[in-house]
Amino acid sequence: MAAQANAIDRTRRMLSLVTYLRERPGAHVADVARAFGVSEAELISDLDVLPLCGTSFRGGDLLDIDTDGDRIWWHNPDDVAAPLRLAADEATALLVAARAVSTLPGLREGDRQALLRVTAKLEAAAGEAAASSSRLSVTFEAEGGVFADVDRAISERRRLWLRYYSPARDELTEREVDPIRLFTVGHTYMEAWCRLSEDRRTFRLDRVAEIRVLDEVSAPPEIEVRDLSAGLVQPSADDPEVVIEVGPGGRWVAEYYPHDSAEELPDGGLRITLRTPDPASLRRLALRLGRDGRITAPAGLADSARAAARDALAAYEAQP
Amino acid sequence: MAIAKAERLMNLALCLLGTRRPLSKRELRGSIEAYLEAGNDDSFNRMFERDKDDLRELGLVIETVDNIDGEVGYHARRDSNRLPPLTLDAEEAAALGLAAKVWQQARLAGAASGALHKLRAAGLPDDADPFAGNSALEPHIPVHESAFEPLMLACRDRRPVVFDYRKANAVQPAPRQVEPWALECWRGHWYLAGFDRDRGAERVFRLSRITGKVRTRSGGFTADVPDVVTVRETVAGWAGESAEGTAVIRLRSGAGYPLRAKARSVTPLGEGWDELEIPYGHGLDASLVEYGPDVVVQEPAELRADVIDRLRAVAKD
Repeated sequence: MAAQANAIDRTRRMLSLVTYLRERPGAHVADVARAFGVSEAELISDLDVLPLCGTSFRGGDLLDIDTDGDRIWWHNPDDVAAPLRLAADEATALLVAARAVSTLPGLREGDRQALLRVTAKLEAAAGEAAASSSRLSVTFEAEGGVFADVDRAISERRRLWLRYYSPARDELTEREVDPIRLFTVGHTYMEAWCRLSEDRRTFRLDRVAEIRVLDEVSAPPEIEVRDLSAGLVQPSADDPEVVIEVGPGGRWVAEYYPHDSAEELPDGGLRITLRTPDPASLRRLALRLGRDGRITAPAGLADSARAAARDALAAYEAQP
Repeated sequence: MAIAKAERLMNLALCLLGTRRPLSKRELRGSIEAYLEAGNDDSFNRMFERDKDDLRELGLVIETVDNIDGEVGYHARRDSNRLPPLTLDAEEAAALGLAAKVWQQARLAGAASGALHKLRAAGLPDDADPFAGNSALEPHIPVHESAFEPLMLACRDRRPVVFDYRKANAVQPAPRQVEPWALECWRGHWYLAGFDRDRGAERVFRLSRITGKVRTRSGGFTADVPDVVTVRETVAGWAGESAEGTAVIRLRSGAGYPLRAKARSVTPLGEGWDELEIPYGHGLDASLVEYGPDVVVQEPAELRADVIDRLRAVAKD
């Protein structure tokens, strides 16, 4: 399956490569590799295949493309290499992404206009291939005002003051942070160096209650940018383990909480095992689950949820 | 293996693009080394059909014509395959570079960079830094659901599908027959809107609740596809965001910022409590119970009863 996808992507790349090389005689291997987002070794292996390709292997009209490892030459360029139109998936991938980003609240107007212009031009160039792009859509959520302030702070290298809501503790805390980047994965987040905790923190923009761009210069330490493809929450192996047993009505927990395992139970429920640095923060979840599930470990967590529920019921009884 | 296939596909593409007249299958077989080595007619035919489909996936428009000799001919006309002229200024090129990085799903990420390569080959400057002068943003479209790719293709090609789906409170998944219209990602989760054949009506499905494989069915759609498919409104309704009612609650001072943020009014009561009027919609009881003893529902009575009911379930656990 991987080899299959690889062959398709590779064919796609080689088709564009011949067009590219026709327009740029003597192109440098390093430049071409960069333009195509591949390593030089991958490019060289494409260049090894191209001379075996042509409009007919018997007619002697194979592509005469060669390289000395530094520059690439095509000795018999042909108009078979005219730029090719976009495929439906190609048009969809770009159009859906451009439309999604262009609707982000708080985006700079110049960027929004550029995205809208490029969307219109792509739609026109793709023609019929653009039609199915309307069958996919993505909405990014962001708090426009907060987004604009974070964006400005990053580009002007300024520190930010925040009042930030922590759902785990149900409290607002004030902190100063040096912003590192803004990213969007459904919701929009800021990654920043938090001067209160002296650590890297991720802030969800819709939980920022108040924000101010400060005059101080932002000076986050040089830290490696986190790879987000593994997920936003990346618990460490030493974090305590939490076990949650849910009935069918609590299966949503597995969709919202990153977990190590989710084992099917005979009643249609799940036994979910996850790790978190702060199990007490899951008391909210225990309360929310009600009869749809319970936290079986650590034992203290279920106890604290039970105590909170009893306290709450006492307030209702006091005030019928 | 991968090299052999890419080489074969390249040769087929170049043959079809290079020819001035439609070529028969026999002529193509004689022109492409991999086909000569393909063995018997059956394996050649299967290989040829697959390759043709693969090239069409890559955007090649391949025409089929009935030849005079009674043989079918194939031809990728230059005029129908040529990218129309597309000129982008530096800002637009940067915006395009940003858009091309957004997908994290393998197939669409490959398609996005493939599109960018075609545009670069056609003359788009390739030195534009996608972040220079732009909002300092890294947008990503998350796709964790394995049902995404087959449904995306089924929406694109308008093919009916069947899949097993577990409704929110269902003990067992149940098979659904759907004519898929559109996919939408909201708050990081993917949803499908389509015509549910068994229910004879439009339905919205959450992709994470699809269990097992999505299978396409032969035949076309039986119901009309609406001009505008609204997924988000339906999902927002599930999430209680179409709230029309009002609830009155007491909230401990300093607690429950999200409730305060959406409150229609906040009145201090003294002794460490405030009274809030908040929008009341589906699911509010579940979110209020999370605050434990910091929230006391005043009205409506049904909401108060629902919250007490939930608290009792936890208290006697």
